[in-house]
Amino acid sequence: MIQPRPAPVKSHGFRFWLRKNLFNGPFNTVLTFVAAVVVAWSLYNLANFIFVEGSWGQVWRNMRLFGVYRYPVEYLWRPLLALGIMLGLMGVMAGAGGRKSIVAGAFLPIQGFVAVVSIVAILFWPSVRFLWPGALVLGFLGYFIGSRWPRSVKYLPWGWGVWLVVGYLLLSGLTTGGTLGKVPVRDWGGFLLTLILFTGIIPSFPIGIALALGRNSKLPVIKYFCIGFIEVVRGAPLIMWLFIASLLLPLILNVDANSLPAIMRAYVAITLFSAAYMAENVRGGLQAVPRGQGEAARALGLSAWQTTLLIVLPQALRAVIPAIVGQAIGLFKDTSLVFIVGLVDFFKVGDIVSVQPEALLVTGGVKLEVFLFIAVIYFFFAYRMSIASRQLEKRLGVGER
Amino acid sequence: MSASTAVVPFWRNVKIIGVIAQFVFVIALVAGVGILVNNVVTALAKANLPADFSFLGKPAGIPIAERAVPYQVTDTYARALLIGFLNTLKVAVVGVVLATVIGVLMGVMRLSSNWLVRTMASVYVEVLRNIPLAVQIVFWYSAVLLPFPPRISDPIALPGGLIMSNVGLAFPFLYPTYRFGVWVPYLIAAAVLACVAWWWRRRALAKADRVGSVWPFPVVTFLVVAGLGLGLSYVGRSVPGDLTFTFEADRGRGTTAFVVDGKSRPAAFVPVAIEIEKASLTVSSQNLVESRQDVRGSVRFPLISESEADAFEFAFADAEAAEERGLQLSFDKYPSIATIYVDTNGNGKLDAGEDVDPATSRGYGGVDVVMTVTNFRRTLVSDRDGQVRTPTFKHADDVAAAAVEESAAPRAGTRFSAFGQAATATVSESALTAKTEIQPVGALVFSRAYVPVSNYEGGMRLTVNYLALLLALVVYTSAFIAEIVRGGILAVPKGQREAARAIGLSGTQTFSLIIFPQAMRIVLPPMISQYLNLTKNSSLASLAGYAELFVIASVVSNQTGAAIPIALLLIGSYLVISLAFSVVLNQVNARLALVER
Repeated sequence: MIQPRPAPVKSHGFRFWLRKNLFNGPFNTVLTFVAAVVVAWSLYNLANFIFVEGSWGQVWRNMRLFGVYRYPVEYLWRPLLALGIMLGLMGVMAGAGGRKSIVAGAFLPIQGFVAVVSIVAILFWPSVRFLWPGALVLGFLGYFIGSRWPRSVKYLPWGWGVWLVVGYLLLSGLTTGGTLGKVPVRDWGGFLLTLILFTGIIPSFPIGIALALGRNSKLPVIKYFCIGFIEVVRGAPLIMWLFIASLLLPLILNVDANSLPAIMRAYVAITLFSAAYMAENVRGGLQAVPRGQGEAARALGLSAWQTTLLIVLPQALRAVIPAIVGQAIGLFKDTSLVFIVGLVDFFKVGDIVSVQPEALLVTGGVKLEVFLFIAVIYFFFAYRMSIASRQLEKRLGVGER
Repeated sequence: MSASTAVVPFWRNVKIIGVIAQFVFVIALVAGVGILVNNVVTALAKANLPADFSFLGKPAGIPIAERAVPYQVTDTYARALLIGFLNTLKVAVVGVVLATVIGVLMGVMRLSSNWLVRTMASVYVEVLRNIPLAVQIVFWYSAVLLPFPPRISDPIALPGGLIMSNVGLAFPFLYPTYRFGVWVPYLIAAAVLACVAWWWRRRALAKADRVGSVWPFPVVTFLVVAGLGLGLSYVGRSVPGDLTFTFEADRGRGTTAFVVDGKSRPAAFVPVAIEIEKASLTVSSQNLVESRQDVRGSVRFPLISESEADAFEFAFADAEAAEERGLQLSFDKYPSIATIYVDTNGNGKLDAGEDVDPATSRGYGGVDVVMTVTNFRRTLVSDRDGQVRTPTFKHADDVAAAAVEESAAPRAGTRFSAFGQAATATVSESALTAKTEIQPVGALVFSRAYVPVSNYEGGMRLTVNYLALLLALVVYTSAFIAEIVRGGILAVPKGQREAARAIGLSGTQTFSLIIFPQAMRIVLPPMISQYLNLTKNSSLASLAGYAELFVIASVVSNQTGAAIPIALLLIGSYLVISLAFSVVLNQVNARLALVER
């Protein structure tokens, strides 16, 4: 007689999930309990600190320093207009790509961030009460234009170019006094400065590509020059290059140290440093392009330049987009090193804020609060970029074709 | 005329164009560099700044607390830079080891079948690698480590002899003694024998045509011989006749030295036993802020464990005044930390609010408390310079006399009591005496860490600056290593695991013999580049106040104005480090490369 078989084990539902993921076997059960204790303890301490122990007044009072440092209040509409235009351009890109595109995936959380700040601004910050919502509206306007007229994307490179120039003019100002009064570069700071330095990755693109092509060149002089540049720059830490640039650039260019603001020196160092890393990334892409592609292009009668620019480079760059985003994350984090040349970026503002007289009145200081806040902001943007990088990797099918 | 014989005009000949292009490039480069160098030279001459390396021989005058080799403020710039370089290595080497351990652990945890463990590891990795290292260093330094108990006299004593405060961490450590020479021949013999064992085992394996591990044989041989030597160094040990120990109990200082022909030379790492029959020590209570909390009327005695003395007695220096005010002592940590309070509700213990002085609404600060110990004994190991320190006890009678003196004097400021002056006024001849004995040692001595007065003594000491930098570097880099390890393990084809299980290997065997070696091949190259990153990132040391190469170089550059030589030195040093790493990387790559047939 056939024995009745036991009923099949339930293979779905919450209890099955628990058994499969947390309690499959004695070892895992113990592990689960240990981990649960660790997690509970950490979360309790974190929550206790955030809601009970922490005194966040110092962070809250200094939001303007964190944002723009000493940028004059009456001119605050200018950086925010630049931000609005940037959001608008991103919006066009996102709108044209559709709601599920990667650009939209990055754009919408940033809009969400701006929206949250806007609400706070409307409620608490009279000087920028209408400016933040304005930037938000510009962003959505761009999104609307992009999704209504997707072909407007064609003009985007021009838009970005114009934005760089207009943005710079807006920030620095044109006249002495008046609506467009000049703002000395040393007053730029906070998150504004972090973003400005982050744009250093844009000029590092062409330089990096040139270095990568040079490194692959058959001409020994050019090849070894490029190898030397890339390896020397990559061999030493960015903080050292910033330091050297701040000391030596005025000497090398034979100009007065005061006429070359620290921000420019830092920008040059960051761009060249980033270019060396970019070159290595691009070189990886060049190696990934099958030789046959170049040979076929030559066989079709394309010139060497045409082969490189039209056939090899596009494929090479496509393969290394995730690596480049990874590098962008690295650069975003590395902008925090400009404190070494006396610039006051988002990170350095934390230092200043935590030693203000009001901060010293708080028992035990406010360093923990300030740097927790800074860490959260950096994390938000860096993590958002790393998600985009992972999506790109999947979308492009790197390593799968 | 066929095409093949067509003469290509020289301006369209690729080779000639190439040569011309390079020529033009070189000329442009030389001209550009020439102009720039010329600029620099004129600028340096104008500003009267040094452009050569001659400044390296001048005295630096830079105080450096953190040093691996002896250094004084009067030493040269070259030596200061060397200290910086060694400090870089010190943080890099330890950091690499710890980051690997934590990173591998986290990488494996990310692949755990346990959802909670997996998620925890993911959060760890994502959070830590997306926050700038600079923020993390400052966080560890000023938000985590500096808020530790702010006074060295109140460190957190952890099990295993670890002592932690906001000055740093101290823990027991093994040091070589003056008898280390006895062990050296054994060490050499052990190394030689290990080589022989390795060679013999390898030949035996080859002869038998067997696959097996070579390493256990030489390792065991080395350990046995070296261990034997170490053991023998403890046999028949005695104290050399010329080894002396001078101890001034009043000042709590002593020196171990070899005295030969009247000349004394410090003897490093000599254990000495000190015994003091009866001694006292006065400490003023203080109101402090610790870890965001007010600490009221706290009395901190030097860290003495209960087993180090037969009896402890505590009394207020001004007993009458204390009685008048109803002051009492409540021990937080017997016998080193106590709080002064007034027992208002009369239940004999400290309750909330009883430590607040109604007159000042603060704690009872500035009250002198006398600790008297009976038969205090401690075995200490002298440091590298032969120095020994103990708490600065006074003769019990002196303290009593001083207390009388003070109570007679008008009480002006209680906060900074007049005890010091009173004591000098009544310095008596009854100097404190101690029984001391030098103890015999073997090749190594186990040195414990103590807090005699105001700094750690003995053991191994790590400053809070070093710890902050190390922790930040380790945690930050371990997040990247975890990702590399995870990727490496995932990259091993699934079929490998399945095949290993199919031929009957256990789970552990599958991992250690099949998965791990193959993952290693993928993991090692990016891992080594992470090690290099860690080393380069140590240049952020200034954020934690740690004197590393870049920090010292920038100080030197500021002092001398020798920007160009310093820049060249820095670039050179970092290139050497990078090159060393790439040599290792190439070796590893060569060894790991698939042998293709």
